[in-house]
Amino acid sequence: MRIIIIGNSAAGLGGLEAFRETDRDSSVTVITRESKQPYSRVLLPYYLRKKVPYENLFIRDKTYYSRLNAKCVTGEVLQLQPEQQTILLEDGSKLSYDRLLIATGSSPVTPPIPGLSGNDIFHLWSLQDAADLMVHFQKGKDVVILGSGFVSLQGAWAALSRGLNVSIIELMDRIMPSALDESTAGILTDQIRKSGINLRLGTVTEQVEQTDNGKLLLHFRDGNSLITDFIIVGTGVQPNISFIRGCGINIDAGIVVDRQMRSNLPGIYAAGDVAQVPSALGGDPVIHALWPTAVETGRIAGSCMAGEKVSYQGSLNMNVTRMFNTTVASMGKFIAAENRECWTDKSLPEDQSLKIMLEEDVPVGAVCIGSSDLVSTLGMLRPLIRGKVSLRGKPEMLKAILAKNIAQYHRAFGKEY
Amino acid sequence: MRFITMDVTKCVVCRNCEYACSFRQAGDFDRDHSNIRVEYYDDVKICLPQTCMHCDNAWCLEICPAAAIIRNETTGAIEIISERCVGCEMCILACPFGNIHFDKINLVSRKCNLCEGEPNCVSFCISGALQYIEAENSYKNNRIIFQRFIDKLSQNNNK
Repeated sequence: MRIIIIGNSAAGLGGLEAFRETDRDSSVTVITRESKQPYSRVLLPYYLRKKVPYENLFIRDKTYYSRLNAKCVTGEVLQLQPEQQTILLEDGSKLSYDRLLIATGSSPVTPPIPGLSGNDIFHLWSLQDAADLMVHFQKGKDVVILGSGFVSLQGAWAALSRGLNVSIIELMDRIMPSALDESTAGILTDQIRKSGINLRLGTVTEQVEQTDNGKLLLHFRDGNSLITDFIIVGTGVQPNISFIRGCGINIDAGIVVDRQMRSNLPGIYAAGDVAQVPSALGGDPVIHALWPTAVETGRIAGSCMAGEKVSYQGSLNMNVTRMFNTTVASMGKFIAAENRECWTDKSLPEDQSLKIMLEEDVPVGAVCIGSSDLVSTLGMLRPLIRGKVSLRGKPEMLKAILAKNIAQYHRAFGKEY
Repeated sequence: MRFITMDVTKCVVCRNCEYACSFRQAGDFDRDHSNIRVEYYDDVKICLPQTCMHCDNAWCLEICPAAAIIRNETTGAIEIISERCVGCEMCILACPFGNIHFDKINLVSRKCNLCEGEPNCVSFCISGALQYIEAENSYKNNRIIFQRFIDKLSQNNNK
């Protein structure tokens, strides 16, 4: 069998590794348009912060592909030709496959603001972005960050840690809408402002102007303006699917796949940020564009391509990060709603919070800010959310309920379940 | 490979294991520096010692975005390479047992490494709750057994 994997980040690597656990012999070619040696995007802000050296960005060693008996080539895929089972590369070469994994990930979007391109305007997404930004991360420089999602805030924290003057401009009247509920976001907002960052909410940027002395001038709708040395645009990502449009593959927000990561076309699988997958909580298929989902879906795709009978339980969104001297985490449905009960931990100090959402006694999501012990609690809840296991009891019993489960598990160890 | 048992029927919450771990791992006697944690839950009358089970196909290892978690080929332990860890806490969220902790001084995750094959917690356990035993079939397939356990809880739910 000839296997082609497009992409060598979380999903592509997961796919290759899971495939090789079953099939040692088929020829595998991995195509990447970036570094042949795989690196982790998640680490880029930590590199800018100088928490990790450049070499630690790479998450597989140089012998990786030869150990896995795979070939890695650099190239941009221009077109997918499903009838011929070939892909066309930018340099004119054609590659044939029997099974194809599309793990092309996503790319940052740039909002349609006049002047928001050119010199000193960056994303924080690729290895090249990080290398470009490193030059500008100098003490005393001014940086404006557009957007307030995970990547933006990580970038802001890195810049602050390196002694830059940081402003965050957010269109909405709150930060992190896809990862935190309003009150938790409020606690983080306070922490960010206390740390010395100029965080402006509900601020619409109308235009960016290059000034004569080499700076950038942002004009806002409210009439204010801000001058800065450079801008980082972190306003979300979109799946990399341009090369497959019009080839007959089923696309909604991304490539629509089933629980085996199969698209509607024979032999073509998709995983990671480019794939729209079943959700762990039911409802419409989702693109969570998160590292854990990319690893999971990549591994499922790889196993299925090798002929294993496995099925994806569905993506459960999980976010966690430590920044501004606190930790925030969330998973599942973490926003209060009419049909949801909310358990809160009332013993926590003002700058910490833990909320668990339940629907008919079954936990469906949680969100926290504060110490890493809260993240542990979320970790123990996660399988119960996935398994739809009810928490019979009261909020103050939460830790005891979780402990009872684990104790029951230990007692059962070694016995047949 | 050998594993540490956590017998909830034998543990008496003396916390010797916590001190033994803290002393071995951090050179002091601070519960916060221990990789094994023991709790007594009065409401449900449970004494629960908890340390890493070094799962096959460990969730934490699979998900770590920094490739900072590896399996030690000699002892079989799942270990965190602290120089590679960025402190994102993804592993803490991934562990369904709550067995990974955060080192507040070095700002990295921390967990049991089986003390290079001679776990100090086991040496100082007075009740026999912690034993370092060969357990081929049980702990080895931890992830599969855990899924069966969750499935069973889920079924009980719907009864």
